[in-house]
Amino acid sequence: MSDFLDAENEEMALEQLHDMGCTDGLPVVIPTQERVIRCILASGLDGDMVLGELGPGMGIATVEKVATAAVMAGCKSDYMPLVIAAVKAAAKPEFDLAELQATTHCTAPLIIVNGPARETCGPVASGYGALGPGHRANASIGRALRLCLINIGGGRPGISDMAIHGHPGKFTYCLAEAEEESPFPPMHTSLGFDKSDSVVTLLGCEAPHSCLYSDNADDPEDAEKLLKILSVGLTNIATNNAVFASGMALVCLGPKHANVLARSGHSRESIQQRLWELTHLLKADHIRYGGEFGKAFRDNPEGTYPAFKVPQHILLMVAGGIGLYSMVMPNWGGAGHQNSAVSVQVESDFFCAIPGLGGA
Amino acid sequence: MVSLITEDFWDQGQFVAKSLGMPNVPRVKLPHPVAGLGEAKIEIIAASIIEDIINSFANE
Repeated sequence: MSDFLDAENEEMALEQLHDMGCTDGLPVVIPTQERVIRCILASGLDGDMVLGELGPGMGIATVEKVATAAVMAGCKSDYMPLVIAAVKAAAKPEFDLAELQATTHCTAPLIIVNGPARETCGPVASGYGALGPGHRANASIGRALRLCLINIGGGRPGISDMAIHGHPGKFTYCLAEAEEESPFPPMHTSLGFDKSDSVVTLLGCEAPHSCLYSDNADDPEDAEKLLKILSVGLTNIATNNAVFASGMALVCLGPKHANVLARSGHSRESIQQRLWELTHLLKADHIRYGGEFGKAFRDNPEGTYPAFKVPQHILLMVAGGIGLYSMVMPNWGGAGHQNSAVSVQVESDFFCAIPGLGGA
Repeated sequence: MVSLITEDFWDQGQFVAKSLGMPNVPRVKLPHPVAGLGEAKIEIIAASIIEDIINSFANE
């Protein structure tokens, strides 16, 4: 069990948590014993159960500690299976969390939710403004993970989190795929899961960058023009992916853009393939603008190189409202696993609704 | 082993060393930033810390 703090009232408890560096700078819900136990009970798991180790502080993430973060973030107890899955993903060695937290790059873990848990453990928004304010599950689940990274992983700005600027997604960064609006099979099925599975995919990435494309159903080159626009937004010589020639990135297609690609006969795989081709960049630019990193091609300066090692390193999902925009999120591309995405199946079999507590 | 750590990353180095169970790992402090200074300035920095590096090895 964790140690307890004492305070005369919730207002003073909040100031104490701020002073101890246990918050993200915003007010938190005070994690009283009753509230934390409620979340642990709802998870159906033992509070002492270890979910993993979070770097760079190498703190042990138990269900109890994660429940504490979930309470502080404002989660309903219903969200616990998603928070737990996100923490498990962050703790996987291939996520390289210690390096991700410590880097000077702005990267933040984006939580993507697929499958039935979008509703049963949410609802996690996938439509208009899914990455913006107003969606409790998106806001608090992402924030719960961040509070775990701070209080269990020890990621504190300027001390152990050396991001030069950070980005607003470091407060919270979570959305669901709009599977019902997508013309393609859900993203998690391309990652080896069944459609009926609930899956959390974690990708350390930059803030979303909007890509405008005004489509035209009469234009036979509509899909190709859209893919070109997306590739320009996704990768240029200012991005880590282009300079390191590694890492992954996310293309979050708006449903309208997804349908432009689908009606031209594209599949998820063919979109990834074409985007990979279009994100081949000039070696001459890498040499000229890549600084110390630009040495990679000096002995062979002709032609192009791929910014992404394989097409599958460009993740593709569908979310957002209906309009002329899609989003792209490049990433860092560093550490031993080159900033890979990690997916974890959501386990909600043990989840218990607590009678009389209304899920809050 | 001696870690070379720039001034701005000194606290981070301490944090990571402690969390990895190596709180006393030898470290030498460099000015910040080092990247992009050009060879001439790098050589000046190198000259200013070489003795500290050798001493750190000697004390291991």
